[in-house]
Amino acid sequence: MKRLLLALFCFLSFSTFANEPTATTAEATDTEEFNPGEMILHHIGDSHEWHWFSLGNDHYTTYLPVIAFRPGHGLSTFSSHQLAEGKVYDGLKLEHEHLVSEDGSKVYDFSITKNVMSLMLSAALLLLVFTAVARGYAKRGTGAPRGIQSFFEPIIIFVRDEVAKKSIGPKYERYMPYLLTVFFFIWFNNLMGLMPGGANLTGNIAVTLTLALITLLITLFSSNKNYWHHIFATPGVPKALLPIMIPVELIGIVVKPFSLMVRLFANITAGHIVTLSFISLIFIFRNIGVAPVSLAFGLFINVLELLVAILQAYIFTLLTAMYIGGAVEEHHDADYQMGGGDGAEPAHAH
Amino acid sequence: MPDSAPAPRPTPQPDSNPDRMRAVARYSGIGAQMAATIGLSTWAGYWLDTHYRTETPWFTLGLMLLGLFAALYNVIRAVTKEQ
Repeated sequence: MKRLLLALFCFLSFSTFANEPTATTAEATDTEEFNPGEMILHHIGDSHEWHWFSLGNDHYTTYLPVIAFRPGHGLSTFSSHQLAEGKVYDGLKLEHEHLVSEDGSKVYDFSITKNVMSLMLSAALLLLVFTAVARGYAKRGTGAPRGIQSFFEPIIIFVRDEVAKKSIGPKYERYMPYLLTVFFFIWFNNLMGLMPGGANLTGNIAVTLTLALITLLITLFSSNKNYWHHIFATPGVPKALLPIMIPVELIGIVVKPFSLMVRLFANITAGHIVTLSFISLIFIFRNIGVAPVSLAFGLFINVLELLVAILQAYIFTLLTAMYIGGAVEEHHDADYQMGGGDGAEPAHAH
Repeated sequence: MPDSAPAPRPTPQPDSNPDRMRAVARYSGIGAQMAATIGLSTWAGYWLDTHYRTETPWFTLGLMLLGLFAALYNVIRAVTKEQ
């Protein structure tokens, strides 16, 4: 079982790159009426209205507010219903879900889009759940947890003991609020994205960019002298090599959060694309015989995505904790021997 | 004749499941970081070459090699560092 999980894990981490072209190949083989590429990209993208489902020609859609700012024109707020089906309102129109003005002037779009709405809903849900958990601790202290508190306690303990303590070391307590927030934020949003009608929030590169940026800032602001010493005067490296080593180390600082950003974005987006591709097969072949197979595969991927949802939250949190751990780590001698493993005193084998 | 008795396999460390998960996450992170390093530096070089309209893509070549070096260096450093 462990082996299987391991293999699955490695597969999941990189499945994204293999799956990337799915949308484009689907796009290339577009049929007259049904264009799977377009459908999939529409599903994983952001939009100004929240389309739930369609029955025949009836569309069940929630229209969200559009908030646009144009220099020289000022703020305009209205319902996205005014822009539905390519209509023009107040000199604004939607071009491929992108708000543009008719005369081509600059538009700053602050609309409550589907993703923003989803973000607000999940923030409210997280607040609701975790204030209830916190109330439980305030009331019962270290006593036995009850209700929703008892569901989240093992997960919180896991993040504390397995992620924070082992990666950061003795100073872990300061970073617990961020680690727990980022873990539950990603997990909840991954799960909400898997619900029917849900928005693909964690599969939006802007959202993962923000999360990765916060990780980068926390790492940089909590870094100590030892961390910068390793970057600008790496121990064990001859002085003559430093002009090469410093850029290499600086690249490393940027690449770490970058890989966090891409991993979360690509894994979640790929999961959605694969599920939708399997469902699209029915409409591509126009054959009801394909439906059982395609639904079975779709269901399989969807269940797999439930695992990916918590796995990606865990990986993001763990790697964040490791990067913070690297920045707050105190100097120890083993580093001077370029990885003389057992030379380190046991106190650091956290 | 090869010895029929299987060599005694080294008993695995009594590590718990979270420790394995942790190791896997860590090494997959290192791999992703390697790919990202090479990709990002190559992209930067490509961008510079198109920006300066160089005839020979020196920026692409140079930054790709630097990225390759940086990726390898970071991998070696990450795996030799005892956790």
